[in-house]
Amino acid sequence: MKNNRVIFGLFICVLVCACAIMSLPLYSFNASVYTKKSSNTFVGDEKYVEARAEVEEEAENYRSQGFDVQINETVTERTNSKGETTSLVAFTIDQTFTKNVWDFVCSSLTSAHAARAMAACILLALLCMIAGCARSLGTAIRGLAPGQKRLRSLSAAACLAGLILTPVFVLMNNYLFWRKIGLYRDDQIEAGREAFFAGLDRFLFDGQMGDGIEGAVKNLSVRHSAAIWLLALCFFAAILAAIQLRWGAIKQTLLRGILYAFVIAVCVITLYPYYVMLVTAFRSNAETLDMYFLHLLPTKWIWSNLRDIVKRGVPRFLLNSVMVAGGSTVLAMLCGIPAAFAMARMNFKGKKFFLGFVIMSQMFSPVVLLIGISQLMNTLHMNDTILGLIFINAAFNQAFAIWLLRGTFVAISPDMEQAAKIDGCGTVGSLLRVLLPMAAPGIVTTLIFVFINAWNEYTISTVLISTASKRPITVGITQFSSFNMIEWQYLFAASLLATVPVVILFMAIEKHLTSGLTSGGVKG
Amino acid sequence: MNKAGNKKGKRNWEPYIWLLPSILLISIFVIFPILIVFRLSFSEISKAGVIGGFVGFKNYSDAIHLPAFKTVMINTFWWVLSVVGLSTLLGFIIALVLNQEFHGRKIARSILIFPWATSLVIQASVWNYIIKYEYGSLNSVLLNLGIIKEAINWRSSYQIEFVWECAVGIFVTVPFVAFCVLSGLQSIDESLYESAIVDGAGFWDKLFSITLPLVRPALSVSTVLNIIYVFNSFPIVYTMTKGAPANKTDTMITYLYMLNFYDRKKGPANALSVIGFVILCICAGIYMMTVMRKEENL
Repeated sequence: MKNNRVIFGLFICVLVCACAIMSLPLYSFNASVYTKKSSNTFVGDEKYVEARAEVEEEAENYRSQGFDVQINETVTERTNSKGETTSLVAFTIDQTFTKNVWDFVCSSLTSAHAARAMAACILLALLCMIAGCARSLGTAIRGLAPGQKRLRSLSAAACLAGLILTPVFVLMNNYLFWRKIGLYRDDQIEAGREAFFAGLDRFLFDGQMGDGIEGAVKNLSVRHSAAIWLLALCFFAAILAAIQLRWGAIKQTLLRGILYAFVIAVCVITLYPYYVMLVTAFRSNAETLDMYFLHLLPTKWIWSNLRDIVKRGVPRFLLNSVMVAGGSTVLAMLCGIPAAFAMARMNFKGKKFFLGFVIMSQMFSPVVLLIGISQLMNTLHMNDTILGLIFINAAFNQAFAIWLLRGTFVAISPDMEQAAKIDGCGTVGSLLRVLLPMAAPGIVTTLIFVFINAWNEYTISTVLISTASKRPITVGITQFSSFNMIEWQYLFAASLLATVPVVILFMAIEKHLTSGLTSGGVKG
Repeated sequence: MNKAGNKKGKRNWEPYIWLLPSILLISIFVIFPILIVFRLSFSEISKAGVIGGFVGFKNYSDAIHLPAFKTVMINTFWWVLSVVGLSTLLGFIIALVLNQEFHGRKIARSILIFPWATSLVIQASVWNYIIKYEYGSLNSVLLNLGIIKEAINWRSSYQIEFVWECAVGIFVTVPFVAFCVLSGLQSIDESLYESAIVDGAGFWDKLFSITLPLVRPALSVSTVLNIIYVFNSFPIVYTMTKGAPANKTDTMITYLYMLNFYDRKKGPANALSVIGFVILCICAGIYMMTVMRKEENL
């Protein structure tokens, strides 16, 4: 097939182009390797000639070592307090040089990994495509052997990896040359300093600067040429070609790509706060408050943060939370299961009224009734007790519990219970022995849902609980943040402990919960 | 149900026994506070909480004439509108995407559930840290990636802070909508789409004439529930700004909390509670109508 051959040719061309772009001088550096300042010197006078000769000699010295250097001079004229004009001449020996991607591949810089991976992607894509096309250039796309299909998919994947690596490579270099070098130079980062500068020396000056490297990078300026983005374009073109060779339909595959891009973006945004919480929880206090903190992970994982929060009462808060959440779950289930059973299996007057009653109760989160609740708790002498929280949480979760449970019960056929009744079980017996075991998944879902709601509850606990040792974890973590100082690492370490269990529980019931919330729930 | 009919005479009290615990629980801890709030809103209350005599609508007129009342109501309106509206839109789009078959769909669903499962106060704290000017994570990450050259003050004015609060509200609400819509989407019969394709329907045709009408019940349930949740949402605003400066970022719930427990203006606070209650009742009414209509359909 002619089409097949053309696209294969294009694919090869595009990858060769990518290699060519990688050989272009993409990064240009400007480093001043030598500086001499001569004060009280005017251009052309004796002192100037002397200094100039000295600089020339130094430059010659550099040239003999293989550097390509130029001499620059700047003259600053100033009038001093006595009204005399003085002038300062500064000579610098500048070296301008360029590096291409292959130089990065061979270096020991961090971005070398990205560069190497990019090179590997090109190679892999090329090899896979050649292997995948070996015998099928003449045949139609639909008739591909499975092995060839797989190789062509692999080739597209390799190109995709290359596409993603291109911005990563640029970002790593920006990070290295703009920020990391600066921080090492200003003594803000000490660890690994020698090795870092040695690696930089080997990359920038082929190891010739020796001890002078820190001075040389002082005035280093870097520019990356726009051609590097052509590389990304090449990879994109290669992906399109590979997809075309694999499936023959480009529109469909583009849509697929957009779908994945969207899903990945959503996931990244969703996970971002959790990533922040995780890494901040294990940072030292100084690192949490450092804007110029560079590493995406803590430089040192401070596990003692966990020990510190244990000392500051977090286990107590967690225990309180377990008691509140567990207690309200049990209570909500004890009241909810009979009610849901009656709603699902019995006909009685006022069924609709009860339904409305339950739905009404669900309309009001405790917050709008805060004042009433605290007043009520005062009357019942349950202010500042965990028991009070248990009752409130159970009551406000009744509606959901009844809904979810009723949905589950309705979905189970009553025949088995009828049979059990005939066998001599009472209503209670048939509920306990027959219905509950069959409804176990729905019950567990409800249980966990109520547990999580009660665990995450914050507002009522803030109002009702005044004794520190009775606080649940959601309120307890606020002790780490006061107006003048927030101990972020402790706040997030405690938050992490409060979050992980419920997230795992929630993931376990996710599938049942959603169907229950809308269909089972609304059937009411 | 012949059997039930036979027994009806002697056991017609039975269902009420089964309902009793639930009714008791709800009455004492939900209905009672409502009554208390109503009573307090018409009574004179001292700062210490001593309840005096009946004062009619004085508390209400006090509440309406509070200097921050107008700002707070406008804030609440925007808060509910933007959070519910945008999260419904985003949640719907995400649900449509997650309804497609693709590799890693299970993982994506599990990740999306994170914000739903996390306590609001924790989420609000994390975002509070992320957008800090001096050391916030967002500035730090963007600086490191070379996207920005110097730190941006993400919370330079209270309006922007309020926008951030709404954004966090949307972030935590989207998963709920997405999962509600998703469950609706999954119950749609695939053959409907197939016959639509045969009839030559495009993507938008399918969306508007099949998908939307069929997920409308799920969508309306999630929207009304969301209005209630978002209206009642307290931790986000309270953690991020505490309503500062001068109640300019308060919503009704945080404002009435401050009014009652900090300023000790208990009378107006109760009146505000009742106003909020009435607003919610209207939502509840709409919700009940939706549910009842569905009930009749079944």
